[in-house]
Amino acid sequence: MLLGERGLRVAYLAAAYTLMVLLALIYLMPFLRSIVASFMTWAQASAYPPEWWPNPFTLENYMKLFRLSLFPRWILNTALVSGLVVALNLVTCSMAGYAFAVLRFPGRDLLFSALLTLLMVPPFVTIIPNFILITKLGLIDNLIGLVFLGSASVSGVYLMRQYYLSLGRELFEAARIDGADPLRSYLYVALPLSKPALGALAIYQFLGSWNAFLGPLVFLRSVENFTLPVGLNFAFSRSLWVEYTPIIAGSLVASAPTIIVYVLLNKYMIRGTVVAARKG
Amino acid sequence: MNFFEKSKRLEALVFLLLTLYPLTLNFFFGYFSMLFAFALSAFEWDILTPMKFVGLKNYQEMLSEIVHGVEMLVSSPRMLHLRAPFFNGLKNILLYTAMVVPTQTLLALVLAAVANQRVRGAHFFRVAYFLPATTCPVIISLIFIWLFMRDGFVNYLISPLTGGFKPDWLRDPNFLLPAIALVAIWGTSAHFFVTFLAGLQALPREVYEAAKIDGAGVLARFIYITIPLLKPLVTYVVVLGTIGALQMFDLAWVMAGAGGGAGGAGYTVALDIYNTAFVQLRYGYAAAKAVLLFAIIFTLNYYVQKKLAFGRVT
Repeated sequence: MLLGERGLRVAYLAAAYTLMVLLALIYLMPFLRSIVASFMTWAQASAYPPEWWPNPFTLENYMKLFRLSLFPRWILNTALVSGLVVALNLVTCSMAGYAFAVLRFPGRDLLFSALLTLLMVPPFVTIIPNFILITKLGLIDNLIGLVFLGSASVSGVYLMRQYYLSLGRELFEAARIDGADPLRSYLYVALPLSKPALGALAIYQFLGSWNAFLGPLVFLRSVENFTLPVGLNFAFSRSLWVEYTPIIAGSLVASAPTIIVYVLLNKYMIRGTVVAARKG
Repeated sequence: MNFFEKSKRLEALVFLLLTLYPLTLNFFFGYFSMLFAFALSAFEWDILTPMKFVGLKNYQEMLSEIVHGVEMLVSSPRMLHLRAPFFNGLKNILLYTAMVVPTQTLLALVLAAVANQRVRGAHFFRVAYFLPATTCPVIISLIFIWLFMRDGFVNYLISPLTGGFKPDWLRDPNFLLPAIALVAIWGTSAHFFVTFLAGLQALPREVYEAAKIDGAGVLARFIYITIPLLKPLVTYVVVLGTIGALQMFDLAWVMAGAGGGAGGAGYTVALDIYNTAFVQLRYGYAAAKAVLLFAIIFTLNYYVQKKLAFGRVT
Protein backbone atom coordinates (compact mmCIF):
# COMPACT_ATOMS: atom_id res chain seq x y z
CA MET A 1 0.00 0.00 0.00
CA LEU A 2 1.24 3.43 -0.94
CA LEU A 3 -0.63 5.38 1.72
CA GLY A 4 -0.37 3.14 4.74
CA GLU A 5 -2.78 2.92 7.65
CA ARG A 6 -2.33 6.53 8.73
CA GLY A 7 -2.63 7.97 5.25
CA LEU A 8 -5.83 6.04 4.66
CA ARG A 9 -7.31 7.40 7.86
CA VAL A 10 -6.47 10.97 6.87
CA ALA A 11 -7.91 10.47 3.39
CA TYR A 12 -11.08 8.98 4.89
CA LEU A 13 -11.49 11.86 7.33
CA ALA A 14 -10.94 14.45 4.61
CA ALA A 15 -13.54 12.82 2.38
CA ALA A 16 -16.04 12.42 5.23
CA TYR A 17 -15.72 16.03 6.37
CA THR A 18 -15.89 17.45 2.85
CA LEU A 19 -19.11 15.56 2.20
CA MET A 20 -20.57 16.47 5.59
CA VAL A 21 -19.80 20.17 5.21
CA LEU A 22 -21.14 20.23 1.67
CA LEU A 23 -24.42 18.65 2.73
CA ALA A 24 -24.67 20.94 5.75
CA LEU A 25 -24.24 23.93 3.44
CA ILE A 26 -27.09 22.69 1.23
CA TYR A 27 -29.42 22.10 4.16
CA LEU A 28 -28.55 25.33 5.97
CA MET A 29 -28.24 27.57 2.91
CA PRO A 30 -31.79 28.97 2.93
CA PHE A 31 -31.48 29.87 6.61
CA LEU A 32 -28.03 31.44 6.25
CA ARG A 33 -28.98 33.38 3.12
CA SER A 34 -32.16 34.73 4.65
CA ILE A 35 -30.49 35.76 7.92
CA VAL A 36 -28.03 37.87 5.93
CA ALA A 37 -30.72 39.21 3.58
CA SER A 38 -33.01 40.24 6.42
CA PHE A 39 -30.52 43.03 7.19
CA MET A 40 -30.27 44.16 3.57
CA THR A 41 -32.28 46.62 1.55
CA TRP A 42 -34.49 44.93 -1.05
CA ALA A 43 -32.33 46.43 -3.80
CA GLN A 44 -29.36 44.58 -2.36
CA ALA A 45 -31.20 41.34 -1.53
CA SER A 46 -32.51 41.07 -5.08
CA ALA A 47 -29.23 41.88 -6.82
CA TYR A 48 -27.77 39.51 -9.36
CA PRO A 49 -25.18 38.11 -8.92
CA PRO A 50 -26.07 37.90 -5.20
CA GLU A 51 -24.39 40.07 -2.60
CA TRP A 52 -22.98 38.35 0.42
CA TRP A 53 -22.93 41.00 3.12
CA PRO A 54 -25.48 43.71 4.11
CA ASN A 55 -24.25 47.09 2.96
CA PRO A 56 -25.72 49.31 4.30
CA PHE A 57 -26.71 47.27 7.36
CA THR A 58 -30.38 48.00 8.03
CA LEU A 59 -33.02 47.02 10.58
CA GLU A 60 -35.71 48.54 8.42
CA ASN A 61 -37.19 45.13 7.46
CA TYR A 62 -37.81 44.16 11.06
CA MET A 63 -39.21 47.64 11.79
CA LYS A 64 -41.59 47.39 8.85
CA LEU A 65 -42.68 44.03 10.18
CA PHE A 66 -43.54 45.31 13.62
CA ARG A 67 -45.03 48.54 12.32
CA LEU A 68 -47.76 46.36 10.88
CA SER A 69 -49.77 45.95 14.05
CA LEU A 70 -51.05 42.57 12.88
CA PHE A 71 -47.65 40.93 13.10
CA PRO A 72 -47.21 41.04 16.92
CA ARG A 73 -50.81 39.91 17.12
CA TRP A 74 -50.03 36.85 15.01
CA ILE A 75 -47.04 36.03 17.23
CA LEU A 76 -49.25 36.21 20.33
CA ASN A 77 -51.95 34.07 18.70
CA THR A 78 -49.46 31.39 17.71
CA ALA A 79 -47.83 31.42 21.14
CA LEU A 80 -51.23 31.18 22.84
CA VAL A 81 -52.39 28.27 20.70
CA SER A 82 -49.19 26.28 20.95
CA GLY A 83 -48.76 26.98 24.66
CA LEU A 84 -52.26 25.74 25.42
CA VAL A 85 -51.96 22.76 23.08
CA VAL A 86 -48.71 21.69 24.76
CA ALA A 87 -50.12 22.14 28.27
CA LEU A 88 -53.34 20.26 27.54
CA ASN A 89 -51.57 17.42 25.76
CA LEU A 90 -49.18 16.92 28.66
CA VAL A 91 -52.24 16.24 30.82
CA THR A 92 -54.50 14.32 28.45
CA CYS A 93 -51.83 12.18 26.77
CA SER A 94 -50.08 11.14 29.96
CA MET A 95 -53.43 10.23 31.55
CA ALA A 96 -54.68 8.24 28.59
CA GLY A 97 -51.26 6.75 27.85
CA TYR A 98 -51.04 5.50 31.43
CA ALA A 99 -54.57 4.07 31.30
CA PHE A 100 -53.92 2.24 28.02
CA ALA A 101 -50.59 0.86 29.21
CA VAL A 102 -51.34 -0.12 32.80
CA LEU A 103 -55.03 -0.34 33.68
CA ARG A 104 -57.19 -3.35 32.84
CA PHE A 105 -60.45 -2.66 31.10
CA PRO A 106 -62.62 -4.87 28.90
CA GLY A 107 -61.93 -4.00 25.25
CA ARG A 108 -59.00 -1.77 26.14
CA ASP A 109 -56.75 -2.88 23.28
CA LEU A 110 -59.58 -2.66 20.79
CA LEU A 111 -60.25 0.93 21.87
CA PHE A 112 -56.57 1.70 21.56
CA SER A 113 -56.22 0.31 18.05
CA ALA A 114 -59.37 2.17 17.06
CA LEU A 115 -57.67 5.33 18.29
CA LEU A 116 -54.44 4.52 16.44
CA THR A 117 -56.31 3.79 13.21
CA LEU A 118 -57.25 7.46 13.15
CA LEU A 119 -53.62 8.26 12.33
CA MET A 120 -54.22 6.64 8.94
CA VAL A 121 -57.08 8.93 8.03
CA PRO A 122 -55.91 11.80 5.82
CA PRO A 123 -56.79 15.23 7.25
CA PHE A 124 -58.57 16.18 4.04
CA VAL A 125 -61.35 13.70 4.72
CA THR A 126 -62.19 15.05 8.15
CA ILE A 127 -61.48 18.73 7.54
CA ILE A 128 -64.74 19.39 5.68
CA PRO A 129 -67.06 17.77 8.25
CA ASN A 130 -64.99 19.26 11.06
CA PHE A 131 -65.40 22.70 9.54
CA ILE A 132 -69.16 22.19 9.58
CA LEU A 133 -69.14 20.77 13.12
CA ILE A 134 -66.94 23.56 14.45
CA THR A 135 -69.19 26.11 12.77
CA LYS A 136 -72.25 24.54 14.40
CA LEU A 137 -70.46 24.55 17.76
CA GLY A 138 -69.86 28.28 17.33
CA LEU A 139 -66.09 27.84 17.54
CA ILE A 140 -65.22 29.03 14.06
CA ASP A 141 -62.71 31.90 13.86
CA ASN A 142 -61.86 31.21 17.48
CA LEU A 143 -58.37 30.34 18.70
CA ILE A 144 -59.87 28.31 21.52
CA GLY A 145 -61.66 26.15 18.96
CA LEU A 146 -58.30 25.42 17.35
CA VAL A 147 -56.83 24.51 20.75
CA PHE A 148 -59.83 22.31 21.48
CA LEU A 149 -59.32 20.29 18.29
CA GLY A 150 -55.68 19.68 19.13
CA SER A 151 -56.03 19.13 22.85
CA ALA A 152 -55.62 15.33 22.95
CA SER A 153 -53.41 14.14 20.11
CA VAL A 154 -53.49 10.48 19.13
CA SER A 155 -49.77 10.29 18.45
CA GLY A 156 -49.16 11.82 21.88
CA VAL A 157 -51.27 9.17 23.61
CA TYR A 158 -49.35 6.57 21.63
CA LEU A 159 -45.98 8.01 22.65
CA MET A 160 -46.91 8.07 26.34
CA ARG A 161 -48.38 4.56 26.26
CA GLN A 162 -45.22 3.15 24.70
CA TYR A 163 -43.17 4.89 27.35
CA TYR A 164 -45.20 3.46 30.22
CA LEU A 165 -45.04 0.00 28.64
CA SER A 166 -41.26 0.33 28.45
CA LEU A 167 -41.14 0.95 32.20
CA GLY A 168 -42.39 -2.59 32.70
CA ARG A 169 -45.46 -4.05 34.35
CA GLU A 170 -43.58 -5.04 37.53
CA LEU A 171 -43.26 -1.44 38.61
CA PHE A 172 -47.01 -0.86 38.63
CA GLU A 173 -47.68 -4.30 40.14
CA ALA A 174 -45.39 -3.37 43.00
CA ALA A 175 -47.23 -0.10 43.52
CA ARG A 176 -50.52 -1.99 43.58
CA ILE A 177 -49.24 -4.46 46.15
CA ASP A 178 -48.04 -1.55 48.27
CA GLY A 179 -51.65 -0.42 48.33
CA ALA A 180 -51.64 2.40 45.78
CA ASP A 181 -54.94 2.67 43.93
CA PRO A 182 -54.78 3.25 40.13
CA LEU A 183 -55.11 7.02 40.43
CA ARG A 184 -52.41 7.30 43.05
CA SER A 185 -50.12 5.04 41.10
CA TYR A 186 -50.53 7.41 38.15
CA LEU A 187 -49.82 10.52 40.22
CA TYR A 188 -47.02 9.21 42.42
CA VAL A 189 -45.39 6.44 40.36
CA ALA A 190 -46.01 7.06 36.67
CA LEU A 191 -45.86 10.86 36.48
CA PRO A 192 -42.60 11.41 38.39
CA LEU A 193 -40.91 8.91 36.07
CA SER A 194 -42.31 10.45 32.86
CA LYS A 195 -40.04 13.48 32.51
CA PRO A 196 -38.17 12.28 29.40
CA ALA A 197 -41.36 11.22 27.62
CA LEU A 198 -43.23 14.36 28.65
CA GLY A 199 -40.31 16.42 27.39
CA ALA A 200 -40.39 14.71 24.00
CA LEU A 201 -44.18 15.06 23.89
CA ALA A 202 -43.97 18.77 24.69
CA ILE A 203 -41.39 19.37 21.94
CA TYR A 204 -43.34 17.44 19.30
CA GLN A 205 -46.61 19.15 20.21
CA PHE A 206 -44.95 22.56 20.23
CA LEU A 207 -43.39 22.06 16.80
CA GLY A 208 -46.62 20.61 15.45
CA SER A 209 -48.91 23.36 16.65
CA TRP A 210 -46.51 26.23 15.97
CA ASN A 211 -46.06 25.06 12.38
CA ALA A 212 -49.68 24.01 11.74
CA PHE A 213 -51.22 25.41 8.58
CA LEU A 214 -54.30 23.57 7.30
CA GLY A 215 -56.23 23.79 10.59
CA PRO A 216 -55.65 27.52 11.17
CA LEU A 217 -56.30 28.22 7.49
CA VAL A 218 -59.71 26.55 7.56
CA PHE A 219 -60.90 27.35 11.09
CA LEU A 220 -59.72 30.96 11.38
CA ARG A 221 -61.43 33.60 9.31
CA SER A 222 -60.45 37.13 10.41
CA VAL A 223 -56.99 38.55 9.89
CA GLU A 224 -56.42 39.48 13.53
CA ASN A 225 -57.00 35.87 14.60
CA PHE A 226 -54.42 34.37 12.21
CA THR A 227 -51.43 32.40 13.36
CA LEU A 228 -47.96 33.15 11.95
CA PRO A 229 -47.89 30.72 8.99
CA VAL A 230 -51.37 31.78 7.80
CA GLY A 231 -50.69 35.43 8.54
CA LEU A 232 -47.35 35.62 6.78
CA ASN A 233 -48.75 33.86 3.75
CA PHE A 234 -51.62 36.35 3.80
CA ALA A 235 -49.16 39.23 3.98
CA PHE A 236 -47.29 37.77 1.03
CA SER A 237 -50.29 37.02 -1.18
CA ARG A 238 -51.89 40.42 -0.49
CA SER A 239 -48.55 42.19 -0.95
CA LEU A 240 -48.78 44.08 2.33
CA TRP A 241 -45.24 45.23 1.66
CA VAL A 242 -43.89 46.32 -1.68
CA GLU A 243 -40.57 44.60 -1.08
CA TYR A 244 -39.93 40.98 -0.23
CA THR A 245 -37.36 41.57 2.51
CA PRO A 246 -39.93 42.07 5.34
CA ILE A 247 -41.36 38.66 4.42
CA ILE A 248 -37.89 37.16 4.79
CA ALA A 249 -37.43 38.87 8.15
CA GLY A 250 -40.90 37.69 9.19
CA SER A 251 -40.11 34.13 8.17
CA LEU A 252 -37.05 34.21 10.37
CA VAL A 253 -38.95 35.62 13.34
CA ALA A 254 -41.67 33.01 12.82
CA SER A 255 -39.26 30.09 12.64
CA ALA A 256 -36.88 31.28 15.37
CA PRO A 257 -38.79 29.64 18.26
CA THR A 258 -38.91 26.24 16.58
CA ILE A 259 -35.24 26.45 15.59
CA ILE A 260 -34.19 27.46 19.11
CA VAL A 261 -36.31 24.74 20.72
CA TYR A 262 -34.94 22.17 18.33
CA VAL A 263 -31.28 23.16 18.63
CA LEU A 264 -31.42 23.28 22.43
CA LEU A 265 -33.64 20.27 23.06
CA ASN A 266 -33.01 17.84 20.19
CA LYS A 267 -31.41 15.34 22.59
CA TYR A 268 -34.76 14.80 24.28
CA MET A 269 -36.57 14.46 20.96
CA ILE A 270 -34.35 11.71 19.70
CA ARG A 271 -34.56 9.87 23.00
CA GLY A 272 -38.34 10.15 22.81
CA THR A 273 -38.39 8.66 19.34
CA VAL A 274 -36.30 5.72 20.40
CA VAL A 275 -38.51 5.10 23.40
CA ALA A 276 -41.63 5.13 21.27
CA ALA A 277 -40.13 2.92 18.59
CA ARG A 278 -39.19 0.11 20.93
CA LYS A 279 -42.49 -1.71 21.00
CA GLY A 280 -45.09 -1.68 18.25
CA MET B 1 -68.27 -8.12 46.87
CA ASN B 2 -64.76 -9.25 47.66
CA PHE B 3 -61.73 -7.03 47.70
CA PHE B 4 -60.44 -8.28 44.37
CA GLU B 5 -63.60 -7.49 42.46
CA LYS B 6 -63.83 -4.09 44.08
CA SER B 7 -60.34 -3.13 43.01
CA LYS B 8 -61.06 -4.32 39.49
CA ARG B 9 -64.08 -2.09 39.35
CA LEU B 10 -62.12 0.86 40.63
CA GLU B 11 -59.52 0.23 37.96
CA ALA B 12 -62.15 0.24 35.21
CA LEU B 13 -63.61 3.43 36.61
CA VAL B 14 -60.25 5.18 36.65
CA PHE B 15 -59.61 3.93 33.12
CA LEU B 16 -62.80 5.59 31.95
CA LEU B 17 -61.98 8.76 33.81
CA LEU B 18 -58.53 9.04 32.27
CA THR B 19 -59.45 8.13 28.69
CA LEU B 20 -62.91 9.65 28.38
CA TYR B 21 -61.79 13.03 27.07
CA PRO B 22 -59.21 11.85 24.51
CA LEU B 23 -61.50 9.09 23.25
CA THR B 24 -64.58 11.29 22.93
CA LEU B 25 -62.72 14.12 21.24
CA ASN B 26 -60.87 11.94 18.74
CA PHE B 27 -63.76 9.61 17.98
CA PHE B 28 -66.09 12.55 17.43
CA PHE B 29 -63.77 14.59 15.20
CA GLY B 30 -62.29 11.41 13.69
CA TYR B 31 -64.80 8.61 13.17
CA PHE B 32 -67.98 10.65 13.29
CA SER B 33 -66.44 13.15 10.88
CA MET B 34 -65.35 10.36 8.59
CA LEU B 35 -68.84 8.88 8.45
CA PHE B 36 -70.17 12.40 7.99
CA ALA B 37 -67.83 12.81 5.01
CA PHE B 38 -68.95 9.50 3.50
CA ALA B 39 -72.59 10.52 3.91
CA LEU B 40 -71.93 14.02 2.66
CA SER B 41 -70.48 12.64 -0.58
CA ALA B 42 -74.00 11.46 -1.53
CA PHE B 43 -75.48 14.94 -1.10
CA GLU B 44 -75.38 18.34 -2.69
CA TRP B 45 -74.96 20.96 -0.01
CA ASP B 46 -73.70 24.51 0.38
CA ILE B 47 -74.56 24.78 4.11
CA LEU B 48 -77.00 27.67 3.43
CA THR B 49 -79.73 25.79 1.58
CA PRO B 50 -81.14 22.39 2.67
CA MET B 51 -79.18 19.25 1.77
CA LYS B 52 -80.19 17.47 -1.40
CA PHE B 53 -79.67 13.73 -1.78
CA VAL B 54 -78.07 12.95 -5.13
CA GLY B 55 -76.86 9.37 -4.69
CA LEU B 56 -73.72 8.60 -6.62
CA LYS B 57 -73.90 11.72 -8.79
CA ASN B 58 -70.83 13.29 -7.19
CA TYR B 59 -68.75 10.19 -7.87
CA GLN B 60 -70.10 10.05 -11.40
CA GLU B 61 -69.07 13.66 -11.97
CA MET B 62 -65.61 12.95 -10.56
CA LEU B 63 -65.17 9.91 -12.75
CA SER B 64 -66.34 11.67 -15.87
CA GLU B 65 -63.95 14.52 -15.13
CA ILE B 66 -61.08 12.06 -14.95
CA VAL B 67 -62.14 10.33 -18.19
CA HIS B 68 -62.57 13.71 -19.87
CA GLY B 69 -59.20 14.79 -18.59
CA VAL B 70 -57.45 11.78 -20.10
CA GLU B 71 -59.18 12.41 -23.43
CA MET B 72 -58.17 16.07 -23.38
CA LEU B 73 -54.61 15.22 -22.43
CA VAL B 74 -54.39 13.06 -25.53
CA SER B 75 -56.28 15.28 -27.98
CA SER B 76 -55.94 18.94 -26.93
CA PRO B 77 -54.19 19.62 -23.64
CA ARG B 78 -54.64 23.40 -23.93
CA MET B 79 -56.35 24.98 -20.91
CA LEU B 80 -56.71 21.55 -19.37
CA HIS B 81 -56.35 23.04 -15.89
CA LEU B 82 -59.48 25.12 -16.33
CA ARG B 83 -61.62 22.47 -17.97
CA ALA B 84 -60.71 19.53 -15.74
CA PRO B 85 -59.17 20.88 -12.53
CA PHE B 86 -59.53 17.67 -10.53
CA PHE B 87 -57.84 15.64 -13.23
CA ASN B 88 -55.12 18.27 -13.50
CA GLY B 89 -54.54 18.03 -9.76
CA LEU B 90 -54.40 14.24 -9.95
CA LYS B 91 -51.96 14.33 -12.86
CA ASN B 92 -49.71 16.87 -11.13
CA ILE B 93 -49.67 15.06 -7.82
CA LEU B 94 -48.68 11.76 -9.46
CA LEU B 95 -45.91 13.53 -11.37
CA TYR B 96 -44.83 15.25 -8.17
CA THR B 97 -44.82 11.99 -6.20
CA ALA B 98 -42.71 10.36 -8.89
CA MET B 99 -40.20 13.20 -8.64
CA VAL B 100 -40.14 13.54 -4.86
CA VAL B 101 -40.29 10.06 -3.36
CA PRO B 102 -37.28 8.35 -5.01
CA THR B 103 -35.08 11.42 -4.63
CA GLN B 104 -35.94 12.08 -1.01
CA THR B 105 -35.46 8.41 -0.05
CA LEU B 106 -32.05 8.27 -1.71
CA LEU B 107 -30.96 11.59 -0.19
CA ALA B 108 -32.18 10.60 3.26
CA LEU B 109 -30.17 7.39 2.99
CA VAL B 110 -27.05 9.29 1.93
CA LEU B 111 -27.48 11.80 4.76
CA ALA B 112 -27.89 8.99 7.29
CA ALA B 113 -24.85 7.11 6.00
CA VAL B 114 -22.76 10.28 6.11
CA ALA B 115 -23.95 11.41 9.55
CA ASN B 116 -23.51 7.92 10.98
CA GLN B 117 -19.72 8.13 10.57
CA ARG B 118 -18.06 8.09 13.93
CA VAL B 119 -16.03 11.28 13.59
CA ARG B 120 -15.75 14.32 15.83
CA GLY B 121 -18.53 16.86 15.35
CA ALA B 122 -20.97 14.36 13.85
CA HIS B 123 -23.65 15.58 16.25
CA PHE B 124 -23.49 19.10 14.81
CA PHE B 125 -24.09 17.75 11.33
CA ARG B 126 -27.00 15.59 12.48
CA VAL B 127 -28.65 18.67 13.98
CA ALA B 128 -28.00 20.65 10.78
CA TYR B 129 -29.48 17.98 8.50
CA PHE B 130 -32.66 17.69 10.52
CA LEU B 131 -33.25 21.43 10.88
CA PRO B 132 -35.36 21.77 7.68
CA ALA B 133 -37.79 19.16 8.99
CA THR B 134 -38.53 21.15 12.15
CA THR B 135 -39.30 24.37 10.33
CA CYS B 136 -42.79 25.19 9.11
CA PRO B 137 -43.24 24.23 5.42
CA VAL B 138 -45.14 27.47 4.79
CA ILE B 139 -42.27 29.56 6.13
CA ILE B 140 -39.77 27.50 4.14
CA SER B 141 -41.82 28.05 0.99
CA LEU B 142 -41.84 31.80 1.59
CA ILE B 143 -38.05 31.81 1.85
CA PHE B 144 -37.72 29.63 -1.24
CA ILE B 145 -39.98 31.92 -3.28
CA TRP B 146 -37.27 34.50 -2.90
CA LEU B 147 -34.50 32.01 -3.68
CA PHE B 148 -36.37 30.83 -6.78
CA MET B 149 -36.91 34.32 -8.24
CA ARG B 150 -35.51 34.85 -11.71
CA ASP B 151 -32.55 36.76 -10.33
CA GLY B 152 -32.49 34.62 -7.24
CA PHE B 153 -29.87 32.53 -5.52
CA VAL B 154 -30.91 29.18 -7.02
CA ASN B 155 -30.39 30.45 -10.56
CA TYR B 156 -27.03 31.83 -9.48
CA LEU B 157 -26.01 28.44 -8.07
CA ILE B 158 -26.98 26.56 -11.21
CA SER B 159 -25.67 29.21 -13.63
CA PRO B 160 -22.39 27.33 -14.30
CA LEU B 161 -24.48 24.37 -15.47
CA THR B 162 -27.11 26.17 -17.53
CA GLY B 163 -24.90 28.43 -19.58
CA GLY B 164 -26.73 31.69 -19.00
CA PHE B 165 -30.24 30.27 -19.17
CA LYS B 166 -32.24 31.47 -16.17
CA PRO B 167 -35.53 29.62 -15.70
CA ASP B 168 -38.33 31.67 -14.18
CA TRP B 169 -39.13 28.87 -11.74
CA LEU B 170 -42.36 30.17 -10.27
CA ARG B 171 -43.94 31.70 -13.39
CA ASP B 172 -43.00 29.10 -15.98
CA PRO B 173 -45.47 26.17 -16.04
CA ASN B 174 -42.63 23.80 -16.91
CA PHE B 175 -40.62 24.72 -13.85
CA LEU B 176 -43.24 25.40 -11.16
CA LEU B 177 -43.85 21.78 -10.15
CA PRO B 178 -40.14 20.87 -10.11
CA ALA B 179 -39.51 23.95 -7.93
CA ILE B 180 -42.16 22.80 -5.45
CA ALA B 181 -40.70 19.30 -5.59
CA LEU B 182 -37.22 20.62 -4.79
CA VAL B 183 -38.47 22.44 -1.70
CA ALA B 184 -40.34 19.33 -0.61
CA ILE B 185 -37.30 17.11 -1.11
CA TRP B 186 -35.14 19.52 0.87
CA GLY B 187 -37.55 19.27 3.81
CA THR B 188 -38.65 15.64 3.73
CA SER B 189 -35.23 14.12 3.07
CA ALA B 190 -34.24 15.81 6.33
CA HIS B 191 -37.30 14.28 7.97
CA PHE B 192 -36.61 10.71 6.83
CA PHE B 193 -32.89 11.07 7.46
CA VAL B 194 -33.61 10.53 11.15
CA THR B 195 -35.57 7.37 10.39
CA PHE B 196 -32.62 5.92 8.50
CA LEU B 197 -30.12 7.11 11.10
CA ALA B 198 -32.04 5.29 13.84
CA GLY B 199 -32.17 2.24 11.59
CA LEU B 200 -28.44 2.34 10.91
CA GLN B 201 -27.62 2.67 14.58
CA ALA B 202 -29.77 -0.32 15.42
CA LEU B 203 -27.94 -2.64 13.01
CA PRO B 204 -26.03 -5.49 14.69
CA ARG B 205 -22.35 -4.60 14.89
CA GLU B 206 -21.17 -8.24 14.95
CA VAL B 207 -22.18 -8.76 11.32
CA TYR B 208 -19.93 -5.90 10.28
CA GLU B 209 -17.04 -7.18 12.37
CA ALA B 210 -17.40 -10.62 10.78
CA ALA B 211 -17.49 -9.16 7.27
CA LYS B 212 -14.44 -7.01 8.04
CA ILE B 213 -12.53 -10.10 9.12
CA ASP B 214 -13.56 -11.81 5.92
CA GLY B 215 -12.02 -8.92 4.03
CA ALA B 216 -15.09 -7.01 2.83
CA GLY B 217 -14.35 -3.35 2.07
CA VAL B 218 -16.43 -0.33 3.12
CA LEU B 219 -18.43 -0.23 -0.10
CA ALA B 220 -18.97 -4.00 -0.16
CA ARG B 221 -20.23 -3.89 3.41
CA PHE B 222 -22.64 -1.08 2.56
CA ILE B 223 -24.01 -2.85 -0.51
CA TYR B 224 -24.15 -6.40 0.83
CA ILE B 225 -25.00 -5.81 4.48
CA THR B 226 -26.45 -2.36 5.12
CA ILE B 227 -28.81 -2.15 2.14
CA PRO B 228 -30.39 -5.62 2.61
CA LEU B 229 -30.78 -5.07 6.34
CA LEU B 230 -32.36 -1.66 5.78
CA LYS B 231 -34.75 -2.90 3.09
CA PRO B 232 -37.87 -2.98 5.29
CA LEU B 233 -37.07 0.53 6.48
CA VAL B 234 -36.62 1.71 2.90
CA THR B 235 -40.07 0.33 2.03
CA TYR B 236 -41.48 2.11 5.06
CA VAL B 237 -39.94 5.43 4.02
CA VAL B 238 -41.10 5.02 0.42
CA VAL B 239 -44.69 4.27 1.42
CA LEU B 240 -44.81 6.99 4.06
CA GLY B 241 -43.22 9.43 1.63
CA THR B 242 -45.85 8.55 -0.96
CA ILE B 243 -48.61 9.12 1.59
CA GLY B 244 -47.21 12.55 2.37
CA ALA B 245 -46.59 13.49 -1.26
CA LEU B 246 -50.09 12.55 -2.42
CA GLN B 247 -51.59 14.93 0.13
CA MET B 248 -49.27 17.84 -0.58
CA PHE B 249 -51.01 21.11 0.15
CA ASP B 250 -49.02 23.80 1.99
CA LEU B 251 -46.16 24.11 -0.47
CA ALA B 252 -48.46 24.40 -3.48
CA TRP B 253 -50.75 26.80 -1.61
CA VAL B 254 -47.86 29.18 -0.93
CA MET B 255 -45.65 28.76 -3.97
CA ALA B 256 -48.31 28.37 -6.66
CA GLY B 257 -51.35 29.92 -4.97
CA ALA B 258 -54.80 28.45 -4.41
CA GLY B 259 -55.45 28.39 -8.17
CA GLY B 260 -52.35 26.35 -8.95
CA GLY B 261 -50.22 29.11 -10.42
CA ALA B 262 -48.96 29.41 -13.99
CA GLY B 263 -50.98 27.13 -16.27
CA GLY B 264 -52.29 25.31 -13.21
CA ALA B 265 -48.95 23.52 -13.01
CA GLY B 266 -48.91 23.68 -9.21
CA TYR B 267 -52.48 22.48 -8.73
CA THR B 268 -52.93 19.41 -6.51
CA VAL B 269 -55.78 17.14 -5.43
CA ALA B 270 -55.66 18.64 -1.94
CA LEU B 271 -55.94 22.17 -3.34
CA ASP B 272 -58.87 21.03 -5.46
CA ILE B 273 -60.66 19.56 -2.44
CA TYR B 274 -60.12 22.81 -0.56
CA ASN B 275 -61.39 24.94 -3.43
CA THR B 276 -64.40 22.73 -4.13
CA ALA B 277 -65.41 22.90 -0.47
CA PHE B 278 -64.46 26.33 0.77
CA VAL B 279 -64.48 28.44 -2.39
CA GLN B 280 -67.19 26.87 -4.55
CA LEU B 281 -69.11 25.75 -1.43
CA ARG B 282 -69.83 22.35 -2.99
CA TYR B 283 -69.28 20.36 0.19
CA GLY B 284 -70.79 17.15 -1.17
CA TYR B 285 -68.60 17.05 -4.26
CA ALA B 286 -65.53 17.94 -2.19
CA ALA B 287 -66.35 15.10 0.20
CA ALA B 288 -66.54 12.65 -2.73
CA LYS B 289 -63.07 13.72 -3.86
CA ALA B 290 -61.82 13.39 -0.28
CA VAL B 291 -63.24 9.87 -0.08
CA LEU B 292 -61.20 8.89 -3.15
CA LEU B 293 -58.08 10.34 -1.54
CA PHE B 294 -58.97 8.53 1.67
CA ALA B 295 -59.24 5.18 -0.12
CA ILE B 296 -55.75 5.56 -1.58
CA ILE B 297 -54.08 6.89 1.57
CA PHE B 298 -55.79 4.45 3.91
CA THR B 299 -54.75 1.46 1.79
CA LEU B 300 -51.14 2.60 1.80
CA ASN B 301 -51.26 3.25 5.53
CA TYR B 302 -52.85 -0.09 6.21
CA TYR B 303 -50.04 -1.72 4.29
CA VAL B 304 -47.47 0.05 6.47
CA GLN B 305 -49.14 -0.86 9.74
CA LYS B 306 -50.18 -4.42 9.06
CA LYS B 307 -47.65 -5.76 6.56
CA LEU B 308 -44.56 -3.91 7.68
CA ALA B 309 -45.67 -3.85 11.32
CA PHE B 310 -44.08 -0.50 11.99
CA GLY B 311 -45.31 1.67 14.79
CA ARG B 312 -45.71 5.28 13.78
CA VAL B 313 -44.29 8.11 15.79
CA THR B 314 -45.84 11.53 15.29
